[in-house]
Amino acid sequence: MEPIDQEVDETTLELPSDPMQLLMGPSHPAMHGTVRIVLDLSGETVVRADVQIGYLHRGFEKMCERGTWSQCFPYVDRCNYASPMLNNVGFALAVEKLCGITVPERAQYYRVVMGELARMADHLVCTAAMCMELGAFTPFLWFTRAREMIFDILEEETGARITHSFARVGGMAQPPTDHFKPAIRAALPAVLASMEEGLSLVERNRIFIDRTADVAAISGQDAVSMGWTGPCLRSAGVPYDVRKAHPYLVYDRFDFDVPVGTRGDNYDRFMIRMEEIRQSARIIGQALDQMPDEGPVRIDDRRYVLPDKDEVYATIESTIQHFKIVMEGIPVPAGEAYGFTEAANGQLGFYLVSDGTGTPWRVRIRPPCFPIVSTLGRLITHRMIPDIIPTFGSLNMIGGECDH
Amino acid sequence: MNALQLVSTLLKIALVLGVVLGIGGALTWNDRRMSSMMQDRIGPNRAVFVLPPWLARTLFAAPAFLVAGALAAWAYLSPAPASVAASVRATERILITLELSVLVAWIGLAALTARATRSSPANGFERWLASTVRDPRNVFYAGLAAHVLLIPARYAIAGTPLSASLKPILFTAGPVLLAVVVAASALYAASLVPATGFRLRMAGLMHTAADGLKMIFKEDFVPKNGDRLLHSIAPMFGLFPPLVVLAVVPFGDVLCLAGGKVAGVVPSAGICTDPASSVTMQVLDLDIGILFIFAMSGAGVVGAALAGWASDNKFSLLGGLRAASQMVSYEVTLGLTLVGAFVVYNTLRLDDMVRWQGENAWGIFVQPVAFFLFFAAATAETKRIPFDLPEGESEIVGYFTEYSGMKFGMFFFAEYLEIVTSSALLVTLFLGGWQLPFLHRDGLTIAFGDTVLLHYGMTHLSVTLLQVATFFGKVVLVCLVQAVIRWTLPRFRYDQLMRLGWRTLLPLSIANIVVTAIAVLVVQSSPGAANVLELLGDLTQGVVAAAMIAAVVALVLWALKPVTRAQTVLSSSAELAQAQGGTRATPMQA
Repeated sequence: MEPIDQEVDETTLELPSDPMQLLMGPSHPAMHGTVRIVLDLSGETVVRADVQIGYLHRGFEKMCERGTWSQCFPYVDRCNYASPMLNNVGFALAVEKLCGITVPERAQYYRVVMGELARMADHLVCTAAMCMELGAFTPFLWFTRAREMIFDILEEETGARITHSFARVGGMAQPPTDHFKPAIRAALPAVLASMEEGLSLVERNRIFIDRTADVAAISGQDAVSMGWTGPCLRSAGVPYDVRKAHPYLVYDRFDFDVPVGTRGDNYDRFMIRMEEIRQSARIIGQALDQMPDEGPVRIDDRRYVLPDKDEVYATIESTIQHFKIVMEGIPVPAGEAYGFTEAANGQLGFYLVSDGTGTPWRVRIRPPCFPIVSTLGRLITHRMIPDIIPTFGSLNMIGGECDH
Repeated sequence: MNALQLVSTLLKIALVLGVVLGIGGALTWNDRRMSSMMQDRIGPNRAVFVLPPWLARTLFAAPAFLVAGALAAWAYLSPAPASVAASVRATERILITLELSVLVAWIGLAALTARATRSSPANGFERWLASTVRDPRNVFYAGLAAHVLLIPARYAIAGTPLSASLKPILFTAGPVLLAVVVAASALYAASLVPATGFRLRMAGLMHTAADGLKMIFKEDFVPKNGDRLLHSIAPMFGLFPPLVVLAVVPFGDVLCLAGGKVAGVVPSAGICTDPASSVTMQVLDLDIGILFIFAMSGAGVVGAALAGWASDNKFSLLGGLRAASQMVSYEVTLGLTLVGAFVVYNTLRLDDMVRWQGENAWGIFVQPVAFFLFFAAATAETKRIPFDLPEGESEIVGYFTEYSGMKFGMFFFAEYLEIVTSSALLVTLFLGGWQLPFLHRDGLTIAFGDTVLLHYGMTHLSVTLLQVATFFGKVVLVCLVQAVIRWTLPRFRYDQLMRLGWRTLLPLSIANIVVTAIAVLVVQSSPGAANVLELLGDLTQGVVAAAMIAAVVALVLWALKPVTRAQTVLSSSAELAQAQGGTRATPMQA
């Protein structure tokens, strides 16, 4: 599927032509308002592509240095607005690594289940948007319907549909609700059914395959050297998944597969996400079976965890503790730590430096889609304008974390 | 041109425009509704006019009473023919009025049952419906059973003295019964209007009209460095071709007015040729019909190309370029595909093509490959997904990026008109045009080869009306198929589109011509083939008739199926709201 006029040498033409410069975005339907691509075009073929990010830069890292550790959670939520729960958990794990604390088992399972739900939602959004930008509208509706069921559960648990801010250093904000397990067990088959229905419309669709297969392919070696992680790297055939390679939480207790692709093209990236949704459902099923119904979801350490409200109102010790945590922040010991987890887009790292006060001295995020987007220009050069759309869609750029 | 022709032409233009604009409006509504789902905003189906109760009651009752009065007057004023029992016109009048009465009551009861079972019944009658009938499908089955029993009964008494004595009574009683049923239904509907006012929604179709008004009053923006003249002319070039193409599409057989033929039975073969006393169901009767269509639909590209050029916008320019190359490429396939059909039909006149299909078999059976090729090429001509590259809203936004207000509206609406136009062409060329299976100019004749199973005489007027309704019904169905395709498939890439057009569709259409020509030669040179082919043609008519009946039954059963809305996850806030007696219905105060 090479572009038809690729062999034409512009300089030998009777009427040599200059490439046309086209500014695509940020106000462009497929650029999500967060990125601009400056294209040099020969006909519809991209001769040179300059991807310019930064339209969603809000100084997240600097903002973190101004509040307490707990106040960073809303910021990390907004870094990835497609799966904020995974960012929450990732940040909490990094801070806990610095503090040297381990959360109770029930909280670990709770984090796994909520995180995997968020991963499913993220993949569904990404694939739905990719289908819709290719013009296939019905799969978008099926995928969005599936995501809506997941959001209902997350809303039920956390009170917020998107920006939950639900994780805490030392556990989760609230224990699971009474209908946590039954609701997920009821919803998961419906989510998968809706997803498969949407997938069946594009999986063997000739037009969809022509548009995505062999478009913007990358080799595993190139992907690794560009710093790719996550579904995009696995689609290139490299079976690296933080959950398997460096198990955290209780991921070593589950039986799940890491899907890998063979060609690293748009179709592989799409299908890898679909398969990961199925694997996430497997993990959730096992986690629900193993998760204890009783037990705390926060550690019993007053230095890190806010006391219960009725205690705050009743005892002077708890009032003081509450005051100290809110006003000064939790006492994270001086030092540095790099915590990394498998977010929906790939490896999400937080490099934290603490000077022993209640405020982070430095928070550095390693967003998964920053290295991936940095390759976008190379992927779309010498391809056609329509190829930009599925490529950009399958890379799943999230402006919030990409722009730090 | 005499007075009859003048009046009939004006009427035909009004009819075609009304139907086409209506379908176009409905298609716009469909797109608005889908895109509102995509953008998570309120769709057109929420648009509502609140009518005061007196106005709503008047609107329900007044037209119905007018119709009922006209029916009653017709019943008493029209003279009965000398021999009621022998007259086809009288039999038809009895049959149509009785059938319509049954139909109105049937649909009304089914709808009432559905309403009573879904929401709370309003009175004792509805409570009875909800408790005893329970399911609207039961009403449907009962109506079907009544027909199945009545048709043999009618044939059993045909020709007996009972029939002869019943017919004069029914000749008057039929229209009266219909009048009573219509008036009663309207009265019942008027009685259900709530005192708070009737919410006229019409599924949100009025939203389309409001959209049109909005477009007219919006700012008309022309880019600073754009070409003002071309920018303004382009939408006219876009809207004009799809409208004029419809002028040559026939939507019914010739209506003969001479010598009281309208109310009688005309012979199945032969049409009236005297222009002074016949009306063609076609705005413009052209000998070169199909060539006119090619010329005009080819001109549609000019609008898109001009818009892309005159807008001073690179996205628009790309869109205009794509539109020009795509439509030129697919025009070739579109034309060559039909050559096979010309060979078979042996004519360029659209109405003769439809007549040929009625006498033999529908084009889709004679030229199946050409049908699919033409469908693909016609979809490409309408610039809709999967061929919507000139628009490609997620890629290049489209050739009308720099258009606003009614100029944009004209491009927008031209697209929907093109859908109607291409559907009308598809129906005319391949789906039998106005033909219904086994329906001929003299009535219904179910025959396979020389074996006549059933013959039922119908008057010329009712046959013609049925044909016109059939044609527009088929057009609506094909438009629906196109809408489904538009919302399901992804779009092609530019080079894939060109490859499909030049390397797949074009060779196939040429191969189709060759194969068709050879087949026609073989048939013409073998003497026994004609009879076999005639039988095969009749068989296809039978297949189509059976498929149509099955489709109608399936559709009705699907529509009447009770809707169960199960929520997988019921959030605690929803549970809380339910426990408190539901969410508040009064509008929010600012």
